[in-house]
Amino acid sequence: MDTTVVAELTGNIATVGYGLAAIGPAIGVGIVVGRTIEGTARQPELSGRLQTLMYIGIAFTEALALIGIATYYIFGA
Amino acid sequence: MTASTRPSSSIVMSRVLLWGAVLAGGIAVVAAPLGYAVAGVPGLVGGLLGAAMGLVFMGATALSILVANRFASSDAYPAVFLGVVMGGWLVKLVLFLIVTVLLRDQPWLEPSVLGLTLIVVVVGSLVVDVLVTVKGRMPAVTDLPPSRRID
Repeated sequence: MDTTVVAELTGNIATVGYGLAAIGPAIGVGIVVGRTIEGTARQPELSGRLQTLMYIGIAFTEALALIGIATYYIFGA
Repeated sequence: MTASTRPSSSIVMSRVLLWGAVLAGGIAVVAAPLGYAVAGVPGLVGGLLGAAMGLVFMGATALSILVANRFASSDAYPAVFLGVVMGGWLVKLVLFLIVTVLLRDQPWLEPSVLGLTLIVVVVGSLVVDVLVTVKGRMPAVTDLPPSRRID
């Protein structure tokens, strides 16, 4: 029995890496923003405080995504 | 909410932008000569470009919150806020990917210097964010009477 190629994948495995790096921050930022909207809906007068807390949450989560892409420059060379 | 009320976070976000720019400028001053010493002119460009990219991409979130807060008096404020902040985030990451593809294999750029500078700016701006927020002395309640409003 001879083996034949029935399916072939071409491209760069780094694409999959970006996808993996994007999953975590996407879930994290979604939760942070969703909870902030929930809190603002319950107590609109606290929106300023909630937004600042949300900003810190987003900054830490998105730092993961940015560092994930920045590693391309370091290891891709 | 009255028409002139802005969420109290606007002041903090403006300060985050300001100190983020100061930090990125300081890091550029250090990273550019270091990059030049390590890799010549491409290293210098990498250091400057890395600091600029870090500033743009970390400042974009604060900027989007400032823009969204301009619609604070609107009934659709939660939806506008979600659209502007999350939409801005999405556009920013797509732009980041496009820039990455464009800068790939450019002879005038040392990518490792750019990547390392970017990571330093990102981590440094996290520190700045936390410090500015902790020292922000933000009022707990947004709806202050006009006489006590500080923005």
